[in-house]
Amino acid sequence: MAKKLNITNNIRTLRFFANEMTQQGLAEKVGASRQTIVAVEAGKYTPSLELAFRIAIAFDVEIQEVFNCEIEGEG
Amino acid sequence: MSYQEKRTLFSILTGILILVAYGIYAYGKYQSGAMIAEDLTFWAKTILIFIGIGIAVNIVGQIVFHILIAIQIAIKEKLHDVNTDDKAIEKSIQNEMVTDEMDKMIELKSMQTGFFVSGMGFITGLIVLVLNYSPVVMLHIVFVSFSVGSLLEGFLQLYYYRKGV
Repeated sequence: MAKKLNITNNIRTLRFFANEMTQQGLAEKVGASRQTIVAVEAGKYTPSLELAFRIAIAFDVEIQEVFNCEIEGEG
Repeated sequence: MSYQEKRTLFSILTGILILVAYGIYAYGKYQSGAMIAEDLTFWAKTILIFIGIGIAVNIVGQIVFHILIAIQIAIKEKLHDVNTDDKAIEKSIQNEMVTDEMDKMIELKSMQTGFFVSGMGFITGLIVLVLNYSPVVMLHIVFVSFSVGSLLEGFLQLYYYRKGV
């Protein structure tokens, strides 16, 4: 069975370096609701590939700089 | 509490209202006499009427709810900045009411459970018929299971909005 992936993100940091962009501001940029951005940032929701790319584009960075992935149990 | 959560909560409340109203009505009718209790056509009509009332209450309620939310956002915007124009208020309302992939995912997951409960209710209704109970009992079980399925769907939506999906 495939091992579980632990997906984390740097959205909070990226927002800070983007002139303290608000969650609402990011939501408007990517066409999502503020609640979705809150959930993604808190790791409660894993976005679709499309939304993930939109978030990366909004910060003008590569997707790997926004999302990190670790295979559980392989520290 | 977000717009989506408020909307879901509102749907749950109207659902409970209809179910309770139906329960009180059905109980009253059962108490009034056994003749009516076994009249399949009467109960089918009653359930259809309650479904109609449920749809109407939901539509009217959603309209009123959206008006109230829009007013609330407009007041909040005005309090925040007195010089806010209508366009900015309109934009805030649109931003608040946006529906995206997470909403669809939550709806899908909760609907799955809702349909499961409704389906189980239908099967229970069929079993009840096999056990030689009145078809009226089956009718009630189906109606109640669909209502409970719908309520559960709402509660699950609230849960997923809070805990994540």
